[in-house]
Amino acid sequence: MAAVTIDSLLQNPTLVFRPKAKVLLKPPRSLDCSRNRKLPLSRGSCLCSFNPRRTIHVVRASSSETALIGNFDISSSDDILYKDIFPVKRIEKVEGKFFIRLDRSKDQHDWQLTVGCSLPGKWILHWGVSYLGDSGSEWDQPPKGMRPPGSIPIKDYAIETPLKKLSEGDIFHEVKIDFNPISEIAAIHFVLKDEETGAWYQHRGMDFKVPLVDYLEDDGNIVGAKRGFGVWSGALQQFSNVLLKSEASHADSQNNSIESKDSKNKNRCLEGFYEEQSIVKEVSVGNLVSVAVRKSPETGKVIVCLETDIPGDVVVHWGVCRDDAKIWEIPAAPYPPETTVFKNKALRTLLQPKATGNRSGALFTLDEEHFGFLFVLKLDDNTWLKFKENDFYVPLLGTSSVPGLYGQSDSTSEEISSKSYTDGIINEIRNLVSGLSSEKSQKTKKKEVQESILQEIEQLAAEAYSIFRSSITTVPDEVVSETETTKPAVKISSGTGTGFEILCQGFNWESHKSGRWYMELKEKASEISSLGFTVIWLPPPTESVSPEGYMPKDLYNLNSRYGTIDELKELVKSLHEVGMKVLGDVVLNHRCAHFKNQNGVWNIFGGRLNWNDRAVVADDPHFQGRGNKSSGDNFHAAPNIDHSQEFVRKDLKEWLGWLREEIGYDGWRLDFVRGFWGGYVKDYLEASGPYFAVGEYWDSLSYTYGEMDHNQDSHRQRIVDWINATNGTAGAFDVTTKGILHSALERCEYWRLSDQKGKPPGVVGWWPSRAVTFIENHDTGSTQGHWRFPGGKEMQGYAYILTHPGTPAVFYDHIFSHHRSEIASLISVRNRNGIHCRSLVKIVKAERDVYAAIIDEKVAMKIGPGYYEPPSGSQRWSLALEGRDYKVWETS
Amino acid sequence: MEVSVIRSSSQAKISKTELGCRDLRFCFGKSNDKNKIFSRKPNSVCFDSQISRFRKAGLRFTLKAVQSDPILESKSPATSKSLDRLRLFVGLPLDAVSDGNSVNHARAIGAGLKALKLLGVEGVELPVWWGVVENEMGKYDWSGYLAVAEMVQKAGLKLHVSLCFHASSQPRIPLPKWVTKIGESQSSIFFADRSGQHYQQCLSLAVDDLAVLDGKTPVQVYQGFCESFKSTFSPFMGSTITGISMGLGPDGELRYPSHHKPAKSGTITGVGEFQCYDTNMLNLLKQYAEANGNPLWGLGGPHDAPTYDQAPNSNSFFKDHGGSWESPYGDFFLSWYSSELVSHGNRLLSLVSSIFGDTEVNVYGKVPLMHSWYKTRAHPSELTAGFYNTASRNGYEAVAEMFARNSCKIILPGMDLSDEHQPHDALSSPESLLAQIRTTCNKHRVEVAGQNLASGAPGGLEQIKKNMLGENPIDLFTYQRMGAHFFSPEHFPSFTEFVRSLSQPELHPDDLPSDEAEATESVQTSSDPNIHLQTA
Repeated sequence: MAAVTIDSLLQNPTLVFRPKAKVLLKPPRSLDCSRNRKLPLSRGSCLCSFNPRRTIHVVRASSSETALIGNFDISSSDDILYKDIFPVKRIEKVEGKFFIRLDRSKDQHDWQLTVGCSLPGKWILHWGVSYLGDSGSEWDQPPKGMRPPGSIPIKDYAIETPLKKLSEGDIFHEVKIDFNPISEIAAIHFVLKDEETGAWYQHRGMDFKVPLVDYLEDDGNIVGAKRGFGVWSGALQQFSNVLLKSEASHADSQNNSIESKDSKNKNRCLEGFYEEQSIVKEVSVGNLVSVAVRKSPETGKVIVCLETDIPGDVVVHWGVCRDDAKIWEIPAAPYPPETTVFKNKALRTLLQPKATGNRSGALFTLDEEHFGFLFVLKLDDNTWLKFKENDFYVPLLGTSSVPGLYGQSDSTSEEISSKSYTDGIINEIRNLVSGLSSEKSQKTKKKEVQESILQEIEQLAAEAYSIFRSSITTVPDEVVSETETTKPAVKISSGTGTGFEILCQGFNWESHKSGRWYMELKEKASEISSLGFTVIWLPPPTESVSPEGYMPKDLYNLNSRYGTIDELKELVKSLHEVGMKVLGDVVLNHRCAHFKNQNGVWNIFGGRLNWNDRAVVADDPHFQGRGNKSSGDNFHAAPNIDHSQEFVRKDLKEWLGWLREEIGYDGWRLDFVRGFWGGYVKDYLEASGPYFAVGEYWDSLSYTYGEMDHNQDSHRQRIVDWINATNGTAGAFDVTTKGILHSALERCEYWRLSDQKGKPPGVVGWWPSRAVTFIENHDTGSTQGHWRFPGGKEMQGYAYILTHPGTPAVFYDHIFSHHRSEIASLISVRNRNGIHCRSLVKIVKAERDVYAAIIDEKVAMKIGPGYYEPPSGSQRWSLALEGRDYKVWETS
Repeated sequence: MEVSVIRSSSQAKISKTELGCRDLRFCFGKSNDKNKIFSRKPNSVCFDSQISRFRKAGLRFTLKAVQSDPILESKSPATSKSLDRLRLFVGLPLDAVSDGNSVNHARAIGAGLKALKLLGVEGVELPVWWGVVENEMGKYDWSGYLAVAEMVQKAGLKLHVSLCFHASSQPRIPLPKWVTKIGESQSSIFFADRSGQHYQQCLSLAVDDLAVLDGKTPVQVYQGFCESFKSTFSPFMGSTITGISMGLGPDGELRYPSHHKPAKSGTITGVGEFQCYDTNMLNLLKQYAEANGNPLWGLGGPHDAPTYDQAPNSNSFFKDHGGSWESPYGDFFLSWYSSELVSHGNRLLSLVSSIFGDTEVNVYGKVPLMHSWYKTRAHPSELTAGFYNTASRNGYEAVAEMFARNSCKIILPGMDLSDEHQPHDALSSPESLLAQIRTTCNKHRVEVAGQNLASGAPGGLEQIKKNMLGENPIDLFTYQRMGAHFFSPEHFPSFTEFVRSLSQPELHPDDLPSDEAEATESVQTSSDPNIHLQTA
């Protein structure tokens, strides 16, 4: 792969780096790996594991309206029928160097650590120090004098210093840290971060560590030992677009440089060293594909001339079509040289290098009658280059079609793309791709402005609505009494709330990114409330090893990536003001340790709850707990807490009470309750007296020969058993219903939505009041997508759960999407008709292509493409709303 | 205007079929900037004649073939003028200012104003209540309304003020206390029906010129009110305040309160009752009968009219065939009854138009849309309301003529009603009635502004759009009304959609390019309702 220098890249105006793109680059994960997100994520306090990385090219293409034609001369003849240039983007690996140097500064007293990197990018050194006498892997802020200018403190443990070029001509961006060897500093720790991409460069999954004294324990991350570099992506858990090449051989020669052999006598005799590594980063590169069509005056044939400056072997996968349907066909011979037939559906031609420049191209001679020329480019086995998710299309008859403006890609290209997962990536990237030409991007901007205005309008409207609505209820007395009579007596229990609750999951997997989620959500409070939600589930609030919060460490430290404890309180207060109850996401199953035991295993806790290894379950060998055996499944990435210990339970109850009191949480969303006995949950809930509580009991549905069983009774039984163990003090997410909806919608098997007894087949069919139905959450959907709801069918899912008994939960990403108004309408139908968690559902149809049910004899609904209309009997049904493949009626 | 045609030897071939503009640009590169026009027939490109031809044909062209956005703006001033002719207002809550002159839910209104402004709405309508402002006779407290006007001005919106000389029951905004007090001892200031029941939500038109209000006539009181309004709001006149509606009767409309008993839900609106039974009305009737040489006809209203919620045929007055309405007596009574209403309208409108004549504000009056029973010959609902409009007589001639005489414009409600959503048995036809009134107004060159009856009527927004953009477009429409329902998730998104579609007529899916940004830009300049983007 050719190395590309930064300068040439930056000159290319079409090169817009979109850090978001890395999100799309995650490797596929197996679905059963449900706790993936809890893999430990930083700074070496936990186990790390890597998914093998695949090299993928990400390619995007879009049409251009700029006047590129002039620059790119394809043919000098003036009988051009059609001419276009498609700019395309590829991801190319750029190789560079990265060095660490420790040496004495000029005055020979102080020392200097220099870190440099030759790759283009906005490099940041994220660093801290440890002091003599520190134990564990905690970083500390370095003393003020050590911080180079431009440093920014990050919380209380790190500094971020940008790498700079010393002068324009320099290849390396570097940063120098001066320090006095007489100080108390034991080591300097750092990782390298590329702000542009958000990628983190780490050392074997941990920080780089430059010891300044010789007796530090070797955690395996001391620079200079057996070298093997690993990379952590900034998105943590997501595949990064940066690779650090491991080059052990290269480093061997410098191996000994740091641990100077003669420094054993604690005399802080430092020795300078210099170490260099190769580093590889993926950079998107713009290329052009130009196409010209002309007619040969002699033969009357059409000649398509295709040319590109993409380096390396480029294969054109092509065909022709007869009409607008763009069905691929193979034209009659002759074909250009190096052409093969691919599965009787397309031809493949290797582009031939041109004499001039680094271009390659081919000429295709076609009969006149063809309507269009279709192609995609293949760069290597995994890399396909398409035009906005579709095939490139070149009109041969000067037709009205606009490139890229047609519906479905044809079967051929679909078949091809399924071979690699490039397609999916391109698909997602398409959303990020905006025009490349300045004219187009201007328009895009205009559109963005328009969109943001619309958003603002919505927010204002929501605000106005919530005020008007609240002021109305105080006026007409009759209305109030009327609603009172229709509602059954409200009895609040922690398993159900009032029974009329509608839950909003108030975050997604990316919410920690901004660092001010609490504040962002606060601005949306009245809007969310006005949509009809009564309960909101906030992200886990504790200090956590992973930024998303599911690897809690000090339970009493509520400053997290979502914001500070004060911001959290403020948020809870505003949510209360708009009449919503607030659920805290509490992780009780596991907890990350602060310290290692004598064997070097992380199982000693710090902070206010300074438990020892007796608090850790005994049956996970990784953590050498001295507690009892686990009462549930083990979560392997962190020490699992032994809830059978009296002191643990006492502490946790106290903690929950403190959260209620101090923060104002009204209830809980309990993480990973599979990990411990439901009876303990009952204990916790009785002690903390929540308004509402729901547990996440997520395990696999049963499948036979890869097909989901119709009968998922054993699956829902396990969930119901857990609820039972909590004595009904908590509800549980109805994973069963989600799973069955998946199959029913995805495969058009709506009959699955009725169990053998004609009831809903999920938990909601057995214990509706304790079932919290949902179709997506931060794990299943969002940017993780471990078990994503069938795309495009979300509204069918919501039409189901928002009309059915159970307590429906709506995922943040869906609320703030184009589904919003439909969801709002469904919620208002639910509220208007007083559907609650115990409403009676009568399934009237469960056939291949349609499912229909009548709830409480007030609301009728159907999902699926099939036909259903509610009976025209004594009740008069009127259509309340309809959308794609669903309809909802109410009695008028 | 520079016109250039680029041709190449292959163009004839290309032009045979229709080309997307993108294709065109592909063919000619970027050299065709926006001032150049391509015709589908390359040999006949002649810009001026082409465009004028387009205009004659109602400016029909395809977006695809012609790229002429700037031309529309620069070359046809008519286009840009008609662009801002289409003005949308939204009514503020009826109780935006209520008892004690406090602004209710000011924060919500503030947010609402911002939202409307962002949406591109022209302005808001503000009901100004007699009962709120003039708590003591001759003493006016405008503070609450001034505050609202300032909010509106700050939001950069226009204001249409409705002067309300009636009372409202929901929300409850009564007449001024001192008026009510007079009414207690002197009930004849109110309308009365055959059974002697008084309608106390507004004064009877028969007392307009009688000094019943502590020595002043109602017209004098209204005059004082309007003059005080004018001087208080003079800083806003013409700039923020662009229109004023004069309250003319029940619910501000020019009519008798013939239907004031609300129909029970689910039942069909009855014919209503004549409201000519208060002492003063009876006096007028008596004088009129005597002057006409039929003193016996002046003793009361028709004896054979049905009651409020009855159907036309339940008594003989409104019968389709042989009903008394067609008798000489019927004609006598209906002529008098309707002319009294028109005279009343004339009295008030001449008053306001003389008061506001020297300002830049437009003066409006509201005419009701009494659409039920329109398909019968007698049109009983209109007759009881005071419009002598039957199968054989256009009763709106006199009304329109009266408005024309006072240079006032008409506000017509019910633009959201469509025939298909009316109960079949009601023999109602809001669409035909609307068409009749509008035709009559056109004839008398009276401009018509629109209003909807209720938000959330089935198909309402569609119908409004039809009325606004149709053959005979409306220049001003007031959408009723801001409040909880208006901003609710069930309603607001569709309203947003509606507003956007008004300024951007729908395109055929064919004409929507893949990047919608482009579409919106092309469309913005074509939002003139006269231009129909042809969907080729």
